[in-house]
Formats: sequence, structure tokens, C-alpha cells
Amino acid sequence: MTELATMDFHPRPQAGDAKPWAFPAPKRGALDNGLTVLRCHRPGQQVVAVEVLLDAPLDAEPAGLDGVATIMARAFSEGTDKHSAEDFAAELERAGATLDAHADHPGVRLSLEVPASRLAKGLGLIADALRAPAFADSEVERLVNNRLDEIPHELANPSRRAAKELSKELFPADSRMSRPRQGTEETVAAIDSAAVRAFYEKHVRPATATAVVVGDLTGIDLDALLADTLGAWTGSAAEPRPVPPVTADDTGRVVIVDRPGAVQTQLLIGRIGPDRHDRVWPAQVLGTYCLGGTLTSRLDRVLREEKGYTYGVRAFGQVLRSAPDGTGAAMLAISGSVDTPNTGPALEDLWTVLRTLAAEGLTDAERDVAVQNLVGVAPLKYETAAAVASTLADQVEQHLPDDYQATLYRQLAATGTVEATAAAVSAFPVDRLVTVLVGDAAQIKAPVEALGIGEVTVVSAE
Amino acid sequence: MPMGHTATAQAGSGGLTATEHRLANGLRVVLSEDHLTPVAAVCLWYDVGSRHEVKGRTGLAHLFEHLMFQGSAQVKGNGHFELVQGAGGSLNGTTSFERTNYFETMPAHELELALWLEADRMGSLLTALDDESMENQRDVVKNERRQRYDNVPYGTAFEKLTALMYPEGHPYHHTPIGSMADLDAATLEDARAFFRTYYAPNNAVLSVVGDIDPEQTLAWVEKYFGSIPGHDGKPAPRDGSLPEIIGEQLREVVEEEVPARALMAAYRLPHDGTRACDAVDLALTVLGGGESSRLYNRLVRRDRTAVAAGFGLLRLAGAPSLGWLDVKTSGDVEVPVIETAIDEELARFAEEGPTAEEMERAQAQLEREWLDRLGTVAGRADELCRYAVLFGDPQLALTAVQRVLEITPEEVQEVAKARLRPDNRAVLVYEPTAPETPADQDENEEAAR
Repeated sequence: MTELATMDFHPRPQAGDAKPWAFPAPKRGALDNGLTVLRCHRPGQQVVAVEVLLDAPLDAEPAGLDGVATIMARAFSEGTDKHSAEDFAAELERAGATLDAHADHPGVRLSLEVPASRLAKGLGLIADALRAPAFADSEVERLVNNRLDEIPHELANPSRRAAKELSKELFPADSRMSRPRQGTEETVAAIDSAAVRAFYEKHVRPATATAVVVGDLTGIDLDALLADTLGAWTGSAAEPRPVPPVTADDTGRVVIVDRPGAVQTQLLIGRIGPDRHDRVWPAQVLGTYCLGGTLTSRLDRVLREEKGYTYGVRAFGQVLRSAPDGTGAAMLAISGSVDTPNTGPALEDLWTVLRTLAAEGLTDAERDVAVQNLVGVAPLKYETAAAVASTLADQVEQHLPDDYQATLYRQLAATGTVEATAAAVSAFPVDRLVTVLVGDAAQIKAPVEALGIGEVTVVSAE
Repeated sequence: MPMGHTATAQAGSGGLTATEHRLANGLRVVLSEDHLTPVAAVCLWYDVGSRHEVKGRTGLAHLFEHLMFQGSAQVKGNGHFELVQGAGGSLNGTTSFERTNYFETMPAHELELALWLEADRMGSLLTALDDESMENQRDVVKNERRQRYDNVPYGTAFEKLTALMYPEGHPYHHTPIGSMADLDAATLEDARAFFRTYYAPNNAVLSVVGDIDPEQTLAWVEKYFGSIPGHDGKPAPRDGSLPEIIGEQLREVVEEEVPARALMAAYRLPHDGTRACDAVDLALTVLGGGESSRLYNRLVRRDRTAVAAGFGLLRLAGAPSLGWLDVKTSGDVEVPVIETAIDEELARFAEEGPTAEEMERAQAQLEREWLDRLGTVAGRADELCRYAVLFGDPQLALTAVQRVLEITPEEVQEVAKARLRPDNRAVLVYEPTAPETPADQDENEEAAR
């Protein structure tokens, strides 16, 4: 039974003339203390975003102290030579500012957002934090205990638990990447203020740091502001530090992290592959989007919109570390959750989607829509200062030129269906995928074994 | 075509302006120009949410929102998503207690497509709606419920607090996701009736914000939406008013497999749109709005009894707003220790009120949150719709921050004293239980821990 609509229908409208838009080009410079500065004026963006990148990668953490970079990052906002921990937080909030800091494989990153009218105050606070952090015993002890309290919460979260297991499976045991970014109960418990200060002194200095400042800078003398704030930070020069290449074992296999009674199974299926310094990157972005970038991509077309097994499954490529010498890598993965009884059928369909992609390739129409979306959304995606700053900071962190993003859009537009297919197929080969399932082993193990997608082992969630 | 007044920027609006219009079929339209970036946001609020649902059909408004993406007379299957994304746009829809919204952010030259798509489903959804999409989206929504609420620790806390806070039979007693049983029970005919009742131009507000030509935009709106008939079949939502104070402390203890003890509470607070609501927003910010708040300083920094402690405000227009306290304990700390400290802090705040510096900080934080929300065309479009639907005047969106800045410390203290008391809250306590023993696994001490 359908009913007739009573409105007047008109043909679908055609697009108007596109207005020119380009990813903003930053201006690059350096302060006298060696700090690299990228700045970018974005008219109308009243909340200014500042990102500071420190060359303090997780790989540099001393043995047995995994998590010290994280504790250091958090301790930056727990007091300086001018403010106690409580006062520092109060001063930030008084400026209407937020300051986040986190440690990841390439380094430590501080992200400040502050209304343009209070940029001087915000820059002053972040400069104090970098120049003269207090790292008081009691505050570090509190951060360590707080971190220890967080760990059980993360292990209880299915997607966090899956990520932890996949890293452990993929990377060699002696690689920092095999272990949790923010440390384990054992390593975090060993961290104290002396360890934090030692890490800071060894790895944090303006000469190896970069600040990115983006927002409406009308009427702001940024050079003077920077000279008074981040310019007052001093430190020695540093020798370049060698980084080990990223390697991984992607032998096809399945690990079930057992959560008895779970109503859904969290899937995380991954391996490592080319990063942004590889010429295949634009084609890989395109192919991965066609596979699982959105609700209308191949995976969700079947798993969600045809079968209803999931609220959504996504395929993505996420840079772990990227370097011009080819030692970097990206995590290539498919993630989502499916209801427990349909775990076997959902994985079977997922593998069928991958096999069909390899056998038949993408269509020109899929490629066209993907390009139009990936390139077309750029003006929306980069409306805020924070989004622009974050991408510029990624480029610096990944040793890419400042015009990388702008170039990437041109490359995406020039990438054909055949290249995108080849990149997607080699990114997700059906026999080289490590599958982590966080779910009820008693219910899902047998159906998953029957699929023949690799040996199945079960581990405890604890 | 009825043109509304062209607003000039009001004090405290940050120079933003909006104009209002109404089509003959009752569709209200709000336009706001901003030519900084070549993008345009379209936002459509239907004045229907989970509060309009009836017993036995919880979750229907949200399930229906999913069906709005399953095609209409001129749009096949997932065409709505495909066309918007293919034009370089982004889109979604969300359902809350008080409204359902649909939005597209488009490159400016693709604006007309978004208007055409929204009009097509407003006027002709039922020509495409069938059993297949109903069954499919029912499964998708049930998986959404599992993923977001049932399969995560503390995932159903908000649902439990809401059920405690708003009594049985109250329109806000249940949350928009609905119950599994009701999702299973919903029929295609329910969905059709829902559309016929609530999806009409005179029950909606459309806002378009960004790099637009207002005259051209209004002409497109008239062309695509103008012929959709309005109708007056909508029943008034059930009354959501309640006494200002609950009058007793409600309490539920949940024993579940969660990683740590938790103390949560919902306070019954003034309705959105009132000065008292802005005042209580500031009070909650001073008490639990960040890492310099009183509760954070007391519980996390000084007593070190909590991992996290904070207050949030769910502003509601058709029922008392909800102040949500959330504390996760540290280590083996017991809940009464936390509860005593919180009551001390709330009593002290009611006694002293905020300091001048606390007021400054709280106002700076709320001001920045507003700058963020109004800093994107999509955020602005959504706020314009919100004020138009809930309070009848979109212009209020542009001056909202000014109203927060005008609140005095005395007003903050007054509302805290009146509302943030033990006999005006529903408390939810989580006590962790041991994990279930894995069934098919080698028994060892690690697994049993």
C-alpha cells in the first residue's frame, strides 16, 4: 500500500558554479630559540587554535616506563613556576581556553583553543607550561594514580579493548607499538616526577618543536606575542634520533577477547600498509573510502543497509608514523560492532565484500562519487581554525611539505578507478588480515572457525 | 512571497543577523548570511521528539528518523545520502526528547540540491516507505542501542536516571532510543501514522545559513516546499510540568559488571529559556564544569577519591531541565565518602555563592562554548532552529551568550540554594560485580580474577 503525494514535483536541480576554495597555505618561520612557527589567518574564526608539537615520541620512553610521555603531557597543565596546579587550570578557564595534551607514537602534542581576544593570555600559559613545568611530586603522583584508575575503564570498553589486542598481535613484542600508548598498570606504577622530568629534559626543547597558530589574527601582532611567550622558552640543540622501521605480522588469524554475555561483538580487522610518503596514498584513501568510508560504501551497503547486522562498519587508514625514508606505516583497518548471533554471518559477508572487490574491482561511478565527496567536503571540513591547525600539525609531524593537503586534493581528483581498486585490494588482502573480536566466545567461536579466515584463539578480557 | 523583517545586528549578537519568513503552508524559514567560506548549512527541525511517543511505542520518533533516509518519491533507496555526499556535502539527523532535526552542510553551489531533497521527503516519504526498509532499520536501530548503551559500561545510566527523575507516565520518563520490546512492536502503520501526524510544513522550521543569496534561497524554498500541504492533526504533547522540587531523594543501586564504583545523580532544574536556567548553568559550571571546578578540586585533586567528577546540564523546554552529576570513584573508595563530600560542597556553595573569580571563569567558559557553536554554519543553523521551535524566536540564538553574561552571582546562589539539594535529586549508584566466569575456556586464575 503506498499513498500518493499531493505536492508539486520538480526535477532534481543542477549544481551552480563552484566557488574557488583551496586548503590554506600557512606562513612558515622560526623564533630565535629555534622554535618553528606556522601561522595561518582565517577570517571570522574567533576561536584561535594553537598546536605545539614536541619531538618526544613513545619510542623514546625508557624501558619499563611506558606511559611517561603521557604523564608528562598531562603534567604540563598541572602547574608552572608561576602557578600552582589549581591556579593554572583556573587561569586557563578564566581565559575561556581549553588545553589538551596527549602522547602518541610520533610525539607529544598540545592543543590550545582560546578566543582571539585572549590569545596573549593563552599563549602565555602554554609557554609557561613548556618552559617551566612544575612536575611537583604530589601532582605527578596524582596523575599516575589517576591513570591507573583509568586503565580498567579502558579495558571494559569494547573498542578500546580491541585496539589494545590488535596492537599486541600485529607488532613484535619488542616494538613500542605492540604496547598500550599510555602504558600498562605495571609501567605506569613505576613513573614518578623524577622520571617525568628526565624525559622532559631529554626530549623537550624549542629547537625540535613546532607551533601552529590558526584563526582570525586581525589586529593581533603575533610576532610580538610569540616573542614574549613561546620565544622565552630556551633549550639546547638536539641530535636527530634514529627511529626503527615499523614492521608487523599480518598472517591471517582471529583472536577472540572473551566477554561472556556481550550482546554485540566488536570487530577490529587490520594490518599495516603504506603511509603518506608512499605514492599509493591518494589511491589508498580513495579505495578505502569506497570500501567503508560511509553508510553508502560497500561494507555498510551490505552489513547495515541490507542485513541490519550493525549500526555501522568503517574502513580507514590511520598514520602510525610517517617518514620520508619509508620507515613509517599506517594502520589499515575495518571496525564496527555486530550483534552476537549474527557475528558469523556478518564476517562471512564482510569477507565476501572483500573478495568481490578483488575479483570485480570498483566501478567508475563509485570512484566518481568518492572523489566528489573527499574533495568536495574540504571547505566544510576546514571551516574551523582547529581543523586547519590539526591538519597542518599532522603534516609537520609526518614530515610532509606545508602544501601537502592542497596537493592531495589534486591527486585524489586525478586518481582513476583502476588505481583505486588496486590500492584497496592490496590494502585489505583477504588472507593477510588480523581479526580481533571482543565478544562472547561461547557463542561466536564455532561460527567464526567455520569461516576459514584463520586460526582462532580465545583470550581472557582481563 | 511574504518577506520577514531584515534584522540588523542586535547588541551581543557578535554581528550575526537572521531574517524570518513564513510560507503560506506554515513552514517557518530562517536565513542568515555569512560569506566567509563557500559553504551553506540547511537545518530542518520538526517539532516532534520522544516526548510525543505513546506507551508501548517508545523509540518510534528515532526509528522514524532513520526511515527518513530510506527514500521518497523522487529519491531512491539511500539516494539522500548518496546525492549529498556526492555533492561534497555532509549530513545526518538526530532525535531528542523535544525535536527531530535533519541537516546538510553543502558547498554553497549545491545548496539547491539539499533543499530539493528535504522537500521531497517532507512531502512524499510515504510513497517510498515499505516493509523492507522498516525491518532493516528496526535491526539497525536495535544495533545502535546495543552499541551505544547496552554493550558499554554505565551505558544505560542516563536512561535509568531519566526514568527515576521523570515519573512513570511523564513524557520524558523514557529516552529517545526506546526499549527493545517497543522497537520490536512498532509496525509500518505506526510509522505511517507518525509521519501523517507530525511531518508537516507547519510543524517545522527550516534554517539556511552561510554563503547564500537570501532572495534566491527563499525563492527555492518556496518552489520546493511551497506546495506541500500543511495540516493541523497534531495532538498537543502531554504536559511535562512538574513541581519545582522532587521533595525526596530518589535512589537506585545498580549491581553490574562495571570497572569501578560510580555515583551519579540527576537534579530537577529550571526550564530552558528562563534566567534561572542560565543561572543554574553557571552554578553547575562553577561546581563541576572543568578542571578548576569545586568538585574536581575537592574530589580529584585534594581528596583523591575520584577519577573524574563533573556536572552537565541537559536544557529542556517542555519539562524541568536535568543537571547530571557523574563521579567515578578511585581505587576502593566507597560511595558514601564521595556523597558526603559532594553534599558538603553543595551546601557550602549554597551558603557562599560563587566568588567573583568563579563567575568570571564560568562565564568565560560558557561564552567560549557559544563561540564554538555559532562558529560553524551548521552550528548556527541548528541554534536558530532551536530557538524558533522551542521559544518561537530564532533571534534569541544570537543573543543567548549575552544573557548568560548578564546573570549575577546572587542569581546563581539563589538557584543553587533552591535546587541543588538532596531532596531534589535522583541518585544512581553503581556497585561492581565480578565478571561472569568464561564458559568455554580453560579455568585459570588469570581468567577468574
